[in-house]
Amino acid sequence: MIEVKSLTKNYGVRKAIDDLNFSIEAGEIVGFLGPNGAGKTTAMNIMTGFIAASSGDVKINGIDILAEPELAKANIGYLPDTPPVYGDMRVCEYLNFVADIKGVRKRNRKAMIEDVMRQVNISEMPRRLIKNLSRGYRQRVGLAQAMIGEPKVIIMDEPTTGLDPKQIIEMRDVIKNLGKKHTVILSSHIMQEVSAVCDRVLIINLGKIVASGTPEHLSHGLHKNGIHVRVKGKPDKILSALTDNLTLKSTSAEPAKEPGTDDLYFKDDENSDKREEIFYCMAENNFPILMMKSTEISLEEIFLSLTQGGSDVARI
Amino acid sequence: MLPVYKKEMRTYFTQMPGYIFLAFFLLLIGIFFTLVNVRGADGNFQHVLSNVIIFFFILMPVLTMRIFSEEARQKTDQLLFTSPLSITGIVLGKFFAALTLFLIGVAVTAVMPFLLRNYGELPVNQIVGTYIGFCLFGMACIAIGVFISVLTENQIIAAVGTMAAIFIMFLIDAIAASMPTTTIASFVFVIFVIFAVTSVFYNSTRKISAAVIVGVIAVVIAGGLYFFNNLIFDGIIVRTLLWFSIYSRFSSFTRGILRVSDIAYYISFAALFIYFTVNVIEKRRWR
Repeated sequence: MIEVKSLTKNYGVRKAIDDLNFSIEAGEIVGFLGPNGAGKTTAMNIMTGFIAASSGDVKINGIDILAEPELAKANIGYLPDTPPVYGDMRVCEYLNFVADIKGVRKRNRKAMIEDVMRQVNISEMPRRLIKNLSRGYRQRVGLAQAMIGEPKVIIMDEPTTGLDPKQIIEMRDVIKNLGKKHTVILSSHIMQEVSAVCDRVLIINLGKIVASGTPEHLSHGLHKNGIHVRVKGKPDKILSALTDNLTLKSTSAEPAKEPGTDDLYFKDDENSDKREEIFYCMAENNFPILMMKSTEISLEEIFLSLTQGGSDVARI
Repeated sequence: MLPVYKKEMRTYFTQMPGYIFLAFFLLLIGIFFTLVNVRGADGNFQHVLSNVIIFFFILMPVLTMRIFSEEARQKTDQLLFTSPLSITGIVLGKFFAALTLFLIGVAVTAVMPFLLRNYGELPVNQIVGTYIGFCLFGMACIAIGVFISVLTENQIIAAVGTMAAIFIMFLIDAIAASMPTTTIASFVFVIFVIFAVTSVFYNSTRKISAAVIVGVIAVVIAGGLYFFNNLIFDGIIVRTLLWFSIYSRFSSFTRGILRVSDIAYYISFAALFIYFTVNVIEKRRWR
C-alpha cells in the first residue's frame, strides 16, 4: 500500500530524514515512534505530498506522490500535528468543504459526513463554531476530516496529544476501528499508545529507522528470560545457595523496598525456563519467595536504549 | 478550483474583509462621485474611477492579505495542499474569489453613471473604456496581492508588502525616467539580472553546475551582443521598468481607446503573478 524507498530530506546541512526504507501492507496499523525531532513529522509531510524529499521515492497504492500528486493524494487522509481546521466555520460546514475538495459526490455527502461524525463522537455538535471547540474536540474534527472520502490510507501525526485520558482511550478505539477498513499510520512519542494500538512499530531516531517489529516482538527481543525474584533472607547466603545449585548466566542482587528482603535479577540463556528450579532451590534452603516475575522490558526502555545509542539495536 | 472559490467567497462574507473592502471601496467612489460629478456638475464619471484607482494600494491589500498567509498561519494549507486538488486550481479559486468581490463592488458603482444620464449627455465611450481598464487594473493588483500573500504567513507583512508593491508601480514611470540609458549601464544591468535569475534558479534546484552553466552561457550571449550589436542594450533599464508600469497603460482607457495590446498586457501581467504564486507553492515539492 505504501512504499518508501531511500527517502532523504536535507534542511541545509542537517539531515531530517536519512535513507528511510519501509513498506506498509494494506490494513496494517503502523506506529512511528521516536523522540521529538526524530523526523516523524517530516516523513509524514513527505508521504502526504506536502513537501518533497531531497531524494528517494514514495508510492501510495502504487502511485508516485511526486509524479502524479493529485491521484496519489486522493488515496490519503491526513491529520497533521495541528488539526487543519478553519476556526470561523461550523463543524458541518467544514466537513462539507472537505468533502467538496476531496470530490465526494453530492448524494453520498450527507450520509458520509454523518457517519464520520458518529465515529469520532461529534454528532451532537454540527452547528458549533470550530474556534469555540476545546482542543480535544478540534482534534476529533481534524480526524473526521482525514476520514472523509474513505481514503485507503489515513496518516495521523500525534493524534492523541492534548487530549485528556478519557479522550485518549476513545481516540485509540477510533483508531483501532479505522484499522479494519483503512491502512493507518500514526506517529507518537508515547509508548503505551503505540503498543496499545499498532500492529507494527517503526522506531525512528535522527531520521533513521533503528528498529521495527510488533510491540511484543520488540519488547521480547531485548531481554529474553530475565527473572526478577524477591526473597526473604540474607543476600549473600541466597546468592551462594543459588550459585551452588544452579547455572545462571548473570545474577545480581540489591536490597528491596520491603525490609529484610532482597531483590535478585537473573538472566539466562534463551530457550530455557529456570523458574521451577529457582523455586525448589529456595525452598530447600528455607528462603521464602515473596514474588517472582519475568522481567519483560517495557517499550520505554527499548526506546531509550535504542534512541540513546544502546548496544542491543542491531539484533532486533 | 470551484470548492476553494466557494469557500473563499463564504469567508469574505462571514468574516470582515469582504465588508471592509466593499464599504471602503464604495465610500471612496461615493466621495469622488460627490466631489467630481455632483458638486462639480460634471458628467465625466471616468474621472471618479481614475481618482479611486490611486487608492488601490490601500484597497487591494484588504482583499488579498489573508488569502494565503492566513491558511499558512492556521496550518490549513496542509489540508489544501495534501488534498486531491491541483495547486493551480487552488490558486485560481482564490484569485477569482478576490476578483469576484472586486467586481461586485464595481457593479454597484454602475448605478452612478445611470443616475448621471438623467441630467445630460455622457461620454459613454470613455466611461465604458475606463470601466474596462479599471477592472483590468484591479485584476493585476489582485494578482500581485495573491503572490505576496503566499510569501508570508503574517497578514500584516502581506498587506504592507502589497501596498509597497502597488505603490512602487505607480512611481515606476518617475523612477524609470531617472535611470541611465547608456549602453554600458544597460549591459551591467543585464549582467545583474542574469546573476539574479541564476541564483534564483540555483536556490530552487540546488544544482550548482547547472546554474553556473546557464549563467555563463547567458553572460557570453549578452557579451557577444554587446560587442556586435550594442543598440539592443539602448535604454533597456527604462524599457524593463516600464513593463511594470501598470498605471501608464490605464490612461488610454480613460480616453475611450481600447487597445488589444493593453488588454493583453494586463491579462498577461496577472497570469505571470498567478504563475509565480503556483510556483512558490510547487517549489516545496521540488527536489
